[in-house]
Amino acid sequence: MRAFRRKGSGYEASFAPEEARLIVQLTEQIGAMLAEPGAGDAAVLRLLPDAYPDDAEAAAEFRRFTAEGLADRKVLNGQTVAATLADAAVATSATKVRLDEQQAQAWIRAVSDIRLTIATRLGIERDDDRPNPDEPLGDIYDWLAFVQESLVVAMQGRL
Amino acid sequence: MPDLLEDVQLDVDHAEQTVLGSPWVTIVWNDPVNLMSYVSYVFRSYFGFSQKEADRRMMQVHAEGRAVVATGPREEMERHVEAMHDFGLWATLQKADE
Repeated sequence: MRAFRRKGSGYEASFAPEEARLIVQLTEQIGAMLAEPGAGDAAVLRLLPDAYPDDAEAAAEFRRFTAEGLADRKVLNGQTVAATLADAAVATSATKVRLDEQQAQAWIRAVSDIRLTIATRLGIERDDDRPNPDEPLGDIYDWLAFVQESLVVAMQGRL
Repeated sequence: MPDLLEDVQLDVDHAEQTVLGSPWVTIVWNDPVNLMSYVSYVFRSYFGFSQKEADRRMMQVHAEGRAVVATGPREEMERHVEAMHDFGLWATLQKADE
């Protein structure tokens, strides 16, 4: 992978086919999780947290009015990411991936959702918690931080 | 013809409600996942903070575990909280005096 940088009015990076396929798969898994969330699933609760920490009734009310829209937008962000990686995922070598501003907005949200979900699975709860070195998901978690950082830094220049 | 007295009365009621109604706050909580650069970017791009102000509030989240990022009517704070959840930030709202 070559990190994101500004290119024209958008952003450009380069992904190996297996890297592109991995991100596509992760967006699909989160889409499936949000489409049929198991009750009490910790990852879903982190993606759709309680808005009122000390008021269960108000939190339930907020959830009733916002959860479906939030979940729909998160699924859509993941689908946008997958669409921008479609060519790279079926290529035989590293392929340039170009994003416009709107696609980049979907990317930073989707990558945050993926990392939050992985962190829940890995039990990362405090700032000094690190993934177990033997855990393959931990490498993906750290690599996605690099992807996210490069895109955010590129986007900061446009504010 | 409009009833001037009634109009004035309505405005007074609205002003009293605005002054006396206790404001709400949007709070963003620390999490070990989201990058500092990302949190700062969200604060700048969504709330329109300067780089310096966004960094200050981001560092407050990081060091103190939470930071107030907006104050105002409950409905507006709910919109902010929903927007933060869109970004994957852990945000809540509560009355300002709690």
